[in-house]
Amino acid sequence: MILSGVFLVLLAILGAPLFAVIAASAMIGFSKDETDLMNMAIEILGIAELPFLTAIPLFTFAGYLLSESDAPKRLVRMTGALLGWMPAGLAVISLATCAFFTAFTGASGVTIIALGALLYPALKQDGYPERFNLGLITASGSLGLLFAPSLPLILYGVISEVSIDQLFLAGILPGILMIVMLSGWSVWVNRGNRQMIKPFSWREVGAAVREAIWEIPLPFVVLGGIYSGFFAVSEAAAITAVYVLLVEVVILREIKISELPRITRASMVLVGGILIILSVSLASTNYMISAGIPQQLLEWVSGMVTSQVSFLFLLLAFLLALGAILDIFSAIVLVVPLILPIAAGYDVHPVHLGIVFLAAMELGYLTPPVGLNLFISSYRFEKPILHVYAATFPFLMILLLSVILIAFWPGLSLWLVPET
Amino acid sequence: MVTDQRALLARFDRIGRSLENIALVSLLGLMMVLAVGQIVLREIFNSGIIWADELLKLAVLWLAMIAAIAACRENRHIRIDALSHLLPTHFIRVTRVIVDLFAAAVCCAIAWQTYRYLQLEIEFQDTVLIDTPAWIAHAIVPLAFVLTGYRFVIGALKQAFGTDEEIDAGWVP
Repeated sequence: MILSGVFLVLLAILGAPLFAVIAASAMIGFSKDETDLMNMAIEILGIAELPFLTAIPLFTFAGYLLSESDAPKRLVRMTGALLGWMPAGLAVISLATCAFFTAFTGASGVTIIALGALLYPALKQDGYPERFNLGLITASGSLGLLFAPSLPLILYGVISEVSIDQLFLAGILPGILMIVMLSGWSVWVNRGNRQMIKPFSWREVGAAVREAIWEIPLPFVVLGGIYSGFFAVSEAAAITAVYVLLVEVVILREIKISELPRITRASMVLVGGILIILSVSLASTNYMISAGIPQQLLEWVSGMVTSQVSFLFLLLAFLLALGAILDIFSAIVLVVPLILPIAAGYDVHPVHLGIVFLAAMELGYLTPPVGLNLFISSYRFEKPILHVYAATFPFLMILLLSVILIAFWPGLSLWLVPET
Repeated sequence: MVTDQRALLARFDRIGRSLENIALVSLLGLMMVLAVGQIVLREIFNSGIIWADELLKLAVLWLAMIAAIAACRENRHIRIDALSHLLPTHFIRVTRVIVDLFAAAVCCAIAWQTYRYLQLEIEFQDTVLIDTPAWIAHAIVPLAFVLTGYRFVIGALKQAFGTDEEIDAGWVP
């Protein structure tokens, strides 16, 4: 058993597809328990039983459509008109637009590709230092994970059986905290540079709003529809997808119908990669629960730490290490079922746990040596990877500070969440 | 001879890709129509289709499985991609052959077990969507794992014997 475990971990590190590693671990577990391996079929078919799962492909499709249209340009113009008068205005604009975009595209590198191409040259033109721009765009690429309707939030809700509506509310303030802290740093770094400040103009605001008039209702459709009880998360996803499709293809005609198969494929390939891991991990999770592994973990952890504060420290250290090696989606489906009961033992609210989990995993995108955003930036902006590490480091430290704040200030996550 | 086989494989690849695209577009379209249709029926006509929810959930299953095949073709299955950025290419080639053959073996095992389960469903005459035989709705699972396994074997062969252009060292956006 231990030998096969070591063998599987080795295969995973060597680059075996994670779903195969997880499926193999479940099958080894089942056969050790003398459970019929046919159970794998029942577990995999379990993804047809999970509620709200339709939201994942539909929101992802909508996000990819938006990123292929001129919506990023309009979004940058609009936030520019609203925030351009601030010191380091364009940096703040970059943070805000990237966060909005990541919420819709699920932080898969699409943000850096779609928005980085616009913002990176614009920042340079406004006289921001190159190193700062590189770090800013790299760090912004996963900012916004905590805002509705991001894929990781939905996936955490599906796995933990916490209400997705509550998670959407809980992410707002911690997400804003991250943006505010990064904005503060951007203003401080660029305090000497005055040329970048632009006068505020109502005329420009009006023009920008008119241009983006079709996209402005989107957040209200998503959040408003859900909170008014008008429709469920999965229905909001369908409405969003249909709405974006109509706007970008029929009304604005920025995406040709002939391009739809390619865009569908690109977005669904991401979804397929996530859902297949989800389906096999339903099997491995069930095996682990029947083998009593969460209880064993809880006993082991409670032997080490007794207070909630020390537990949260341990959790953060664990999540930061996890985020450095594992992508956010696999981490959610594999690890959340194991740590939920442990966190409950320390009175950590499951909604708060979700926000801490996702916020900590967000850092994983930026953690050397293998953070995904670092490689995407290095590739996209043709910079050596070590240069990207160094440029991103201050942003990583500020985000780390914000994650610590989020972890030890549960009120921030739970403020907007109604008592249940 | 070799070039003939290459041409044949390339043709299979094109046909497979188109079939996947057609299936993905249709399933996603079906999901949008069903979900939005349900809202319209509920809010305006105060009614709904009983089996719509179940069909939506089955559509997600099919979408997930077909998208998994597509992900394999694009080499986009999620891996811990640390080593491929750090180690020399020929080493990566060797490891990729090993791990892809491992993945193919796992896919075969899953396909076999799900096939056995389908036979059980046929025997017990399980149904979904009121009166549709369940094995039809679930047949996509063994099929998808067989095709995914096949793609991993092809991937491993390309890594082992392919020219440099055919080597896909890792995920690049």
